[in-house]
Amino acid sequence: MRNTRATQLLFELSKSGRRGVRLPAADVPEVPLADLLPTDALASAPPPLPELTEPELVRHFTNLSTQNMSVDTHFYPLGSCTMKHNPKRNERLANLPGIIDLHPYQPADTLQGLLELLWNLQEMLAEIAGLPAVSLQPAAGAQGEMAALLCAAAHFRKLGQQRTKVLAPDSAHGTNPASAKMAGFDTVTVKSTPAGYVDMADLESKLDLQTAVFMITNPNTLGMFDRQIAEIAKKVHEVGGLIYLDGANMNAILGIARPGDFGADMMHFNPHKTFSGPHGGGGPGAGPISVSKVLEPYLPVPVVVRDENGFHLEYDRPESIGRVRSFFGNVGVLVRAYCYIRTHGPDGLKRVSENAVLNANYLLSKVKHIFPVPQGDRCMHEFVASGAKLKNDRGVSAMDVAKRLLDYGYHAPTVYFPPIVREAMMIEPTETESKETLDAFAQTLFRISEEPADLLQEAPHTTSISRPDEVQAARQPIVAWSPKV
Amino acid sequence: MPYVANTAEDQRAMLDSIGVKNIEELFASIPAELRLKRPLDIPPALSEMELTAHMAALAKKDAPAGEKICFLGAGSYDHFIPAVVDYVASRGEFYTSYTPYQPEASQGNLQVFFEYQTLITQLTGMDVSNASLYDGGSAAAEAVLMAISATGRHSRVVTAASVHPEYRQILATYLANLGIELVTVETPDGVISPETLAKVVNDQTACVLIQQPNFFGCLEPVEAIGKIAHEAGALFAVSVDPISLGLLKRPGDYGADIVVAEGQSLGSPMSFGGPYLGILACREQFVRRMPGRIAGETVDRRGKRCFVLTLQTREQHIRREKATSNICTNQGLFALRAAVYLAALGPQGLRETAELCLRRSHYAAEKLATDNGFERVFAAPTFKEFVVRAKGGDVEDMLVRASEAGYLAGIPLCMWYEDLADCFLVTVTERRTPEEIDGLVGCLNQVAAIHA
Repeated sequence: MRNTRATQLLFELSKSGRRGVRLPAADVPEVPLADLLPTDALASAPPPLPELTEPELVRHFTNLSTQNMSVDTHFYPLGSCTMKHNPKRNERLANLPGIIDLHPYQPADTLQGLLELLWNLQEMLAEIAGLPAVSLQPAAGAQGEMAALLCAAAHFRKLGQQRTKVLAPDSAHGTNPASAKMAGFDTVTVKSTPAGYVDMADLESKLDLQTAVFMITNPNTLGMFDRQIAEIAKKVHEVGGLIYLDGANMNAILGIARPGDFGADMMHFNPHKTFSGPHGGGGPGAGPISVSKVLEPYLPVPVVVRDENGFHLEYDRPESIGRVRSFFGNVGVLVRAYCYIRTHGPDGLKRVSENAVLNANYLLSKVKHIFPVPQGDRCMHEFVASGAKLKNDRGVSAMDVAKRLLDYGYHAPTVYFPPIVREAMMIEPTETESKETLDAFAQTLFRISEEPADLLQEAPHTTSISRPDEVQAARQPIVAWSPKV
Repeated sequence: MPYVANTAEDQRAMLDSIGVKNIEELFASIPAELRLKRPLDIPPALSEMELTAHMAALAKKDAPAGEKICFLGAGSYDHFIPAVVDYVASRGEFYTSYTPYQPEASQGNLQVFFEYQTLITQLTGMDVSNASLYDGGSAAAEAVLMAISATGRHSRVVTAASVHPEYRQILATYLANLGIELVTVETPDGVISPETLAKVVNDQTACVLIQQPNFFGCLEPVEAIGKIAHEAGALFAVSVDPISLGLLKRPGDYGADIVVAEGQSLGSPMSFGGPYLGILACREQFVRRMPGRIAGETVDRRGKRCFVLTLQTREQHIRREKATSNICTNQGLFALRAAVYLAALGPQGLRETAELCLRRSHYAAEKLATDNGFERVFAAPTFKEFVVRAKGGDVEDMLVRASEAGYLAGIPLCMWYEDLADCFLVTVTERRTPEEIDGLVGCLNQVAAIHA
């Protein structure tokens, strides 16, 4: 069934003289090009792009699409990524012309509907976070981290304090230390206990007057709620530092606990995870941040404000850090988040988290007999199973299991993260999967655990390709097609 | 609960299997005193029908391009989007997938990224491209960080007032805590004066960042600027309008080291400013300093050509604070849109699009300038945008009146440029017909007459 002709590279399919789009005549007085632009600025020929017709393009890209796994087609328990169903109504509504065909510099009076939506989203995120001031600007979680850390830096500068350090646990997402570095801080790693919680003694030994921020993911990357959080916040605040909450795992606690209530001073949301924005093969996401009143003056500009004349964008905030991206932000993603929150309401959001946690615990109860879960019998929205025993006993790695799952029609869990668990398989089922799917997945894991090692080590067997040579790809990078000479 | 499958019966069976009495027990790790003891104070749930009506009512309060004729630009453009772009991007296999961590389950996305990267190198004349960043503005900041690390020069970066003011603001934010001086040369003539530039570019300068065509729509003397940068040992970074490359020389052909662009023009809606597509391409020697995802070609265990994410040791999930950037996503769906767009247009389509923009914008500029109320501000040649001075003053009031008459006539420059407070920026894409342009000119003449 596979159409390998159509999935050759665009450049191999190209034939001179073909085209997919025709344009109208200019219909303005004909003037020689040289009268409009200096000839030394003009290219001698247009860029050497491929030449294809529309039917060729449709067949090419449609066939390529079938070589992806996706939430629409497969169970996708990729831990930490919250691959839940992407509601179709949100796609339709986000594409309304009155929402999508708007220019970022239109006058506010031609934007009152969208600005009202965005203002309400700011309010709703503030309520869900328990932190009153929101910027919708950051384009992704990592950019939200950086923006919030820059706010913290501005805050300490205003206080006249030289705080140079950002602390983060060894189980943190790699973006945490990378964002801290980009915001101009030195990073310090805090140890985790074997159960995955913050090692309090290690934290205390590293807290001092140079500490600007402690970044924590809670629930953490093992899917556990660190109940020391209030104590951690107290200790950090005692030395004058701030708490940053990485909101990657908010899907576990919507309407149940709020970061602002358990000690966070600032956080980001991942609307593409928690609020169902489609992941788009890697993006776009968005990374709105919620911060405390103290940090509000430093938020990026503009923010949506409401006054007696309606809604408008406020730019005049002298203490603002400025901007981290152009225009307003990833509005299309934010609109979908708005639709998602409005679809659920307060009870619905709480049900989302309850069912996400129920599904994860149920799957954990089925999986732990096959792959031990070092953190124990309970989790929040995800858990990390270990393939260490299988590796020791039969030389089958977590990656082998991941690859074999593809043969059975499941996307693999996140493997080898967090690094504090050996042969880690981080599994996040999300609330939108049925019990039947979870049962079938657990049975498949069991079946795989019994399969011969060599079968697993060469998996996958049913996909179009298997075990690409990544070493060669990195050693002699070929990152663009070039014509064969 | 439209998206949750668990019935009460399912929940009971699942709780029994877990060994707890109720869902509440699963949250025992969250101390009671840290719990929210009331429902969230957000509006109640809406059914799909109610939500649809609600969104339609909101959308009705907006005036989208099409309802008002859009002559706005400045980095976000009303270019035509062929239907094939929307069709391909609406395939669930593309838009509901994620970062290709498992290449065997993601060959579709990986090949698209590889094709996108190739198309960007063809478009810009550069050797290599990444698989995209967030937007043109943050891509410009990332380009500067890349230049700082590539040159090892941590003291000065030079840009110009003719670069998009928001891009410069982003750059200033990114550099704020890194102890690097950002020098901005003024551009009173609408373009960079090479003599002025040469005075501030020194042997400590990591990079010179310019925009071509620049924020005012004018063409910069790129070859002279590149020469100044290179003679000082600085890198030459250029932010381009991708559509303009249907006509203009490619940055790779005039010596750019790093090229960035806002890729929205390539088949993505304006969407009030995002999501967009950050394009970043460079010379081969800098490939290991690039931020973001990169797809590469390799072979699988059976020797078959395939694609993977490559050079990952640059990235945050491996290198943490030593990574080239904190970025961990690309804008996959918008890279896809750009790939389909560029392949659909091909060389001729891109050239014709650029020519339409050029011819129609020059037609508009000339018509406007023949009226007594307006004049062109800068003499430098322009591509699809140009700056107009309203001799009668009060630009903002004129633009409001034009908007009431159905034209989004331009962007007032007072917000960013004090000396251009009586000016506005007009953009003409290939979508604006001669009739619409005539209408705009008539409308502006009328509002100018009110002010006269």
